Amino acid sequence: MTAIESRPPASMPLLRTACIVGVSVIGFFLPRLLGGTSAAYSTLTTIAIFAVMCYGVDVVLSYLGEVSLGHTLFWSIGGYTAANLSVKYGLNGWDTALATIALCVAAAAFLGAVTLRTREFVFSLVTYAAAVVAYEVAFNWDAIGGSDGIVGIAALKLPFVVTTFSGATEDELWPVAFVLLLLTLAFISRFRRSRLGTTALMVQMNPALAASLGVNPRRIRLAVFIISAPITGLAGWLYAYQRAYVGPDMFESYFLVMMLTAVVLVGRRVLIGPLIGAALLIAQQNLLSLGGDWNKIVLGSVLALVLIFWPAGLVGLYRRLSKNKP
Amino acid sequence: MNKTMKLAAVMLLGLTAPVMAQDIKVGTIFPLSGGAGPDGQTVTNAVKLMVQQINDRGGLLERKLVLISKDDESTPAVGVSRANEMIADKVDVVIEGWNSPVTLAMQPILARAGVMDITAVSKSDLILSGQTNPYAVRINSSNGFDAAVIAKYVAETLKAKKVAFLTQNDVYGNGFQAAVEAEFKKLNFAGEVIMTEKFAFKDTDFRVQLTDLKAANPDAIIVTNSSNSSGLPAMVEQYRQADLKSPFVGAVGIMLTTVFKVAGDANNGIVSADIFFPDLPPFTTMPESASFVAAYKKAYGAAPDKSAALGAAALQVWAHAVEATKSLDRKTVAEAIRGKTIKATVFGDAQFLPNGQMQPRYVLFRVVDGKNAKLEALE
Repeated sequence: MTAIESRPPASMPLLRTACIVGVSVIGFFLPRLLGGTSAAYSTLTTIAIFAVMCYGVDVVLSYLGEVSLGHTLFWSIGGYTAANLSVKYGLNGWDTALATIALCVAAAAFLGAVTLRTREFVFSLVTYAAAVVAYEVAFNWDAIGGSDGIVGIAALKLPFVVTTFSGATEDELWPVAFVLLLLTLAFISRFRRSRLGTTALMVQMNPALAASLGVNPRRIRLAVFIISAPITGLAGWLYAYQRAYVGPDMFESYFLVMMLTAVVLVGRRVLIGPLIGAALLIAQQNLLSLGGDWNKIVLGSVLALVLIFWPAGLVGLYRRLSKNKP
Repeated sequence: MNKTMKLAAVMLLGLTAPVMAQDIKVGTIFPLSGGAGPDGQTVTNAVKLMVQQINDRGGLLERKLVLISKDDESTPAVGVSRANEMIADKVDVVIEGWNSPVTLAMQPILARAGVMDITAVSKSDLILSGQTNPYAVRINSSNGFDAAVIAKYVAETLKAKKVAFLTQNDVYGNGFQAAVEAEFKKLNFAGEVIMTEKFAFKDTDFRVQLTDLKAANPDAIIVTNSSNSSGLPAMVEQYRQADLKSPFVGAVGIMLTTVFKVAGDANNGIVSADIFFPDLPPFTTMPESASFVAAYKKAYGAAPDKSAALGAAALQVWAHAVEATKSLDRKTVAEAIRGKTIKATVFGDAQFLPNGQMQPRYVLFRVVDGKNAKLEALE
């Protein structure tokens, strides 16, 4: 299912809109449907935030065909920006979000320009190296938190027209996380059908055709990489408010493995793939946990098995099984 | 009449019984897997032992204690999930914390939910800053106190005139050195720091630094090295081979079992300090401590180390405060600990500062038989 194939039939826009609204409303009330407990709110908020985090990686993997190992950098930029600006300067959520987007775009423009000529293995390695360098800086630079990180991040405050939205607890943060997830989904779905999205896919799948049409592949690659960064960055931004603590652990491989596994588990270029992937992984860790060592073994094995046997993810597996049926 | 009274009493008991019988839930969150897994298991086991002992004596407030133990995998994000699970389980207290970042990440979650939170091991100063948890309590010593005891020993006992530092070049090492130098100032130290040699956490070859130190011949070398299974034993061996005459003064808490196992007798003569020993006075003469050491040996077949004692003390301190206040309320219990003295813990009578820090009681020691990890207490 490529982006081009998946274009919905234009004849039923009303039905489609109704479906989207219906699913959104159910999604919004999901924590209440699951009992309205603090555990339901915190688990679903975490899933929403982690899903948004994964969508940044998904854009790069699905549309550039590259594995970015550096998206923990953007995730951390979001967290550190929210933490530093809100604790030291008392800025509200809008300001820290704008700063996050600006810094992520700047960092991605630099990293994207540097890696413009690199492909595959080298691209992954350079993005990984960037994250390692940033980790060392964050770990040793006391002015932005140092090895202990930053504590005392106040509740998220989003002044809106006449009222101020505040997210002190998980059930108050849930609407913000949910809206951020919806916006991300809307953005990705629009991106898939945009000129940039379709061109990026052409550059990846058929570089000869792209070249013959006069497409500059480097420009496309840079643009897609820059677009992906603030998505992951905004997830880190909200995560800082949810956890009220930001430290160098945001660079840890825990998040990197989560991003990659969630994206490949369901399959590339499936709109809700990363969301389902993140939900499955968090549910396994929180509800069906086998203990720390076993969880890591399961997560690593799942990633390896999927990549070896069903490179197209669960969707690919399903399609293969349904094809075999008489 | 008497019979009716009895009957009424029985009925009343029957009515209240379900409430009274409700168990008190104690949660622990430590790393139980990965590199720090064995350490976290030690602390958890110590808490478990204390819970059993309290239940054997009839419980707390006549209710049974149940223990819920979870694994933070040394990962702050996982710790946060576990903290949320504890809140969902409605635990009455959480004893947590091997790594500072994990503690710092869990602290606001537990504080927002109003769950009593006692930090057993994590050492960061931010934990007690009051920004996220105004009712924080910590058992392990802080870096500031650790630096003070080492500075005092070097300045007043050794009466050193020329001091050198052999410092791990990271927040821990540099922070400890800065704290010791600040303590020197407070003590109006007459000597001077003549040399600072640095190395990275992962280093195992210190011959260049040791040669420099030998040439400078200071009256004391103050060493920070938290790589207790490879870096520090290598450093001790090379210090012996280089035949330095300057005393080796180790920072608080670095002389762990692995150092003795690997470097053996090369450790002889090293001076350091710590806050708990199963086989040194004053702990051998404290009844609570001696009975804990005996019970721990019986249950787990080895003497408890400092981290086990910290876990046990965390539960004891909380249980004493609950008993004294007849309450499980976070604020009430915390106020009975912070700034107060809790009697008869494995650390003896434990004094708490107003910010929730337990006042440590240090023992300075010299290694006499490194191979068997035998120490002698200094006065």
